[in-house]
Amino acid sequence: MGGLLNYSSDTLPVHHLASALVGAGFEVSRFRPVERTLLDTFDGRLHAAGIRVEVRKGAELQLIVSDGGPAPAVVVVDRVPSVGGDLPPGPLRARLAPLLDVRALRPTVSISGLHATAVRRNESGKAIVAVDLHDQLAAPPGEALSVRWTAEVSPFEGYAKAAHQAEELLGSLGLTRRDGGVLDLAADELAIDFRGHLDSPTVALDPAEPAAEGFRRVLANLADTIDANRPGTVDDIDPEFLHDLRVAVRRTRSVLSHAKRVLPADGRDHFKAEFRWLGAVTSPLRDMDVYVIEWPGYVAPLDPETVRVLAPVVDHIERRRAAEHVVLAGHLGSPRYRGLMTAWRAWLDAPATEKPSSKKEKSAPALGPIVAARITEAQEQLLSRGRGIGPATEAEELHELRKDAKRLRYLLECFGGLLPASSRKPFVQRLKAVQDNLGEHQDTEVHTTQLRAMSQELHGAPGVTADTLLAMGRLTEVFDRRRQDAREQFAERFATYDTKPTARTLAELLRGLS
Amino acid sequence: MKVLATYSIKGGVGKTTSAVNLAREAAISGSRVLVWDLDPQGAATFFFRIRPKVKGGTERLVSSKGDLAEHVRASDLPGVHVVPADFSLRHLDLHLDGSKRPTERLASLLKGVESRYDVAFLDCPPSISLASESVFGAADALLVPVIPTTLSSRTLHQLSDFLGGQDSPPSLLPYFSMVDGRKRLHREVMASLRSEWPHLLTTPIPNASIIERMGPERAPVGAYAPSSPAAQAFAGLWAEVATRLWA
Repeated sequence: MGGLLNYSSDTLPVHHLASALVGAGFEVSRFRPVERTLLDTFDGRLHAAGIRVEVRKGAELQLIVSDGGPAPAVVVVDRVPSVGGDLPPGPLRARLAPLLDVRALRPTVSISGLHATAVRRNESGKAIVAVDLHDQLAAPPGEALSVRWTAEVSPFEGYAKAAHQAEELLGSLGLTRRDGGVLDLAADELAIDFRGHLDSPTVALDPAEPAAEGFRRVLANLADTIDANRPGTVDDIDPEFLHDLRVAVRRTRSVLSHAKRVLPADGRDHFKAEFRWLGAVTSPLRDMDVYVIEWPGYVAPLDPETVRVLAPVVDHIERRRAAEHVVLAGHLGSPRYRGLMTAWRAWLDAPATEKPSSKKEKSAPALGPIVAARITEAQEQLLSRGRGIGPATEAEELHELRKDAKRLRYLLECFGGLLPASSRKPFVQRLKAVQDNLGEHQDTEVHTTQLRAMSQELHGAPGVTADTLLAMGRLTEVFDRRRQDAREQFAERFATYDTKPTARTLAELLRGLS
Repeated sequence: MKVLATYSIKGGVGKTTSAVNLAREAAISGSRVLVWDLDPQGAATFFFRIRPKVKGGTERLVSSKGDLAEHVRASDLPGVHVVPADFSLRHLDLHLDGSKRPTERLASLLKGVESRYDVAFLDCPPSISLASESVFGAADALLVPVIPTTLSSRTLHQLSDFLGGQDSPPSLLPYFSMVDGRKRLHREVMASLRSEWPHLLTTPIPNASIIERMGPERAPVGAYAPSSPAAQAFAGLWAEVATRLWA
């Protein structure tokens, strides 16, 4: 059977419909207050997966999960779930938690009103069709909807005839049929887009347009991402807001660093410094977020007793995380932040462009050749540094190589609008394999250092025993082994990247830009 | 989709009451549930107030043209759908015997609906036959109710021995059913079997008159006596099963 069928009328009072349903053999319950809310993540990942999670607050709090299939999952809950771990254990959590990952569920659209259910039963007392009546519809907090009431036919699998008869009855009363349920109706009227906010660094670009215009558009898009993720970071909804904000800041800095002779020099250095500040103030909280998210994986190699005695470390991380959040929320509400973003937008909107540096450059440079040159330079820098790294090279050089790889990756992503997806994706996959190795190497080194520092901080703290400190030592060893493994694997990973096929893929990627 | 069969060689041990009540518990904890009544007596079908009718008969259902989705009926419990039984299922063995790869046929039919449900309960008739082997081929786990008596524990051993000889058998999840804690024999057999079967599910289902009321109520216990010890026991049993299979 299909989904809900939604009916309404501008003229017929709802109690006339209720009477007609009773006359047709339906049992109609009393009207009771109800609130219905759809939940999704900020980036609409449930919608993208074709799943709807609705909270229905009436006599009890119900969670209704549907995916277009015939049997929605209906579960009574004590509270509205926020993250995957709040869902009841079992198949529902197994299905949704991996999809949500670290993202939190937030309301997307709500309606309130009075609700009654009309049910028709067969001779065995079995329900064969239901009609949900919603009256006094409103969208909290107080938004009126154009439709005062609706009737939604809920077909029962295997009882198509009864559903058809109910539709005929509603049609005979002159009710207007609409597609979708009452929440779709509210979303339409309130212009709510279920697709959510998608943080894509890629914007439409033309290789022949002036480079300054393309750069400005890329940077303005990144500024949108920073602004969009600030409230969720300040409200501490989920760690992905901060992650996406930080990535947008890093991309902004990277694009600015490639904007020499494209954007005016006067503001460039100032904004590079300011975005460096913004990136730096977000790091302490992100470090703690990574600990919280990755902790189960970190301690997986340890025995259960060692994990148990590490509980004070988890508490310490959570306390530090809470403190770092307060600090960051302060920065993101500060005059410096607001001033930065206001000035940044104004600078991006300003018409001025960099003056041609030579007489040869009489007109503004085109975007395509500039981007091709920047990508080529970034790749050459990456290869040059990578080829110089051997078993005895200092770790700092690998960290610099990681930055080189990020710079190249950000160029490919931010100017992806110029590049054919068919060759961009395989190239990015090759690059990502190197980045994963460099990331593992640096992250485990940072964790090793941080854990040693934490051991000092926790020494003598209440509840921290010698066993806890020894367990921290074992965890440090786990990180150190992982770091060594990554270091040993580097040469092979880099050699796989530094090949003729990679060069060919890059050449194909840049073919249309010059 | 996980396929769980309530199964026992012995009759009258609580297979159908378990299937119906665990289906409700699975649904109210958020699962999309299918109950396939494979018993020609159609007791599960009756409890769900559904007309006992296999559209086109069992022969057509298990034939190569069979499509399980065509037989699904929504129950009155949100999230629970049912494939009803009728008397034609008494020839299930015969019809399976006439099909290609009979021991894989039920699995093949379930594959057609696996994206729609999280859990399928197969309520099986008491026997050990070709149909049982097809159930074993389809099930991820057998939920085996055991009355704590000598004969019931003997049939558990028989089943365990039989599965031991199968290629990739389903997990065996026995649990105590129709328990009367006042009976010394029940207490003794439970203690003995618990030490012998460390994986035995720990929540016992009591022998309670409230469970017998499922007949006149035509509903799972939790629907009409949600705070009764029996309803709580089925909830506890489902929580254990969910933890074993999805944790």
